[in-house]
Amino acid sequence: MWVPAALRQMSDGNKPQPTRVLQIVANSLLDRFEQRVVPLMDDAYTLARHLVRDEHEAQDIVQEAYLRAWRYFAGFRGGDERAWLLTIVRNCCYSWRRGKRGTEDVPYDDEAHSTDTTSRYAADARAIGESERGNLASALETLPAEFREVLVLREIEDFSYREIARVTGVPIGTVMSRLARARERLRRVLKQSA
Amino acid sequence: MSDRCQPTRATLGAYVDGELPPDDAAAIADHLTTCAHCSAEYQTVLDTIALTRTQLERFTAPDVLRARIRAALVTTPAEQEPAPERGADRNDARGSSRWARRMVLAAGLVLAAALGSGTTLLLRQQTEPPSIAAQVLSSHLRSLMPNHLTDVASNDQHNVKPWFNGRLDYSPTVPRFDDVGYPLIGGRVDYVGGRPVAVVVYGRRQHLINVFSWPSAGASEPLTATASNGYTMYRWRSGGIEHWVVSDVNAAELQTFAGMIQRGSP
Repeated sequence: MWVPAALRQMSDGNKPQPTRVLQIVANSLLDRFEQRVVPLMDDAYTLARHLVRDEHEAQDIVQEAYLRAWRYFAGFRGGDERAWLLTIVRNCCYSWRRGKRGTEDVPYDDEAHSTDTTSRYAADARAIGESERGNLASALETLPAEFREVLVLREIEDFSYREIARVTGVPIGTVMSRLARARERLRRVLKQSA
Repeated sequence: MSDRCQPTRATLGAYVDGELPPDDAAAIADHLTTCAHCSAEYQTVLDTIALTRTQLERFTAPDVLRARIRAALVTTPAEQEPAPERGADRNDARGSSRWARRMVLAAGLVLAAALGSGTTLLLRQQTEPPSIAAQVLSSHLRSLMPNHLTDVASNDQHNVKPWFNGRLDYSPTVPRFDDVGYPLIGGRVDYVGGRPVAVVVYGRRQHLINVFSWPSAGASEPLTATASNGYTMYRWRSGGIEHWVVSDVNAAELQTFAGMIQRGSP
């Protein structure tokens, strides 16, 4: 493999020429990262805050995500940096949730929630009843992370369903139904408080 | 609602989001002009979306986070194999190729070596004990990592100063310069030259400043500057106390700040 050889050359310091070329390549890559990815930090932090709902954990997650993004950046073949970065942030959030619980996270089961059963409405009603203040923030607290992320990606980031599907790793149809259910819940809370 | 009413709320949402094929969207637009029920439903969906858009909270990344990430980008070598991005791998056939991943790792290694060589050498040289300057810089860099900045986080000097009591054999000064743009962030105990030392942390815009101090015998020495990898360090000795001030703010500002610490007033 060519990499160890290249690294040996650099650490020996005997061949300044390739090191210098690499330095220039590296610096232009860092410049590009700072111009295109670093300015997206508010987007990254907003998604993390909504997903983990803890200020300090969200900061650590965003830092971890940026370091991962930086490691991957040389292999990033263009496209939308925002969707790419938010995919990494999301994965870091879910890793954190798994670690936090000490068990494998149970993913949201769209199938189990897809039918119009009484129990589904009962769950919604209970969730809504708990948010007595009736404002959007407290309504959000009753939503599972899978709903919160589609809301953030759609209403704040203005992503298309296709982009949301790519970031969250679910089919477009699932994005559409999650978004509809999330809105439905919010609507009922807001109607109740009106 | 008539039997001909096709649109569900999910469809209406997709319609508002502009996600329906043109023919379907046109059919719904038609239908809405004639069906009062669906028209009311549509208005409800529209209202919910509008409200969510205005009220869903947008957060601003704090300056300290920006500083931490900025520092970590140029100082953290990407040596270890990156953890696979599950979502990305699953959805992107290119990303799952072992060769592609190896290339990314290889590029990361080269980059890390190229970018971090200066700092890495400074931090890693094992052959001789690192100089005090290297240890101070190393401590500063470590402080930028998550959860390493402060042991006591407080903007109140009356919390920070007593915190050091019992942890150190001397009492560092903790002046406040919030009014002139250097907010007090907190303090911690770190190890430099084999002894515990006091570190008081200040902010400057998105940057962090670490102020190290410890007792040191010897005559007073005036302010001197050292620069390394984009970081500036000022050191002086007065009243039997050794002081180091480290940051990546520009050297002139840091010198001004070091002067303030020396005087104990702005």
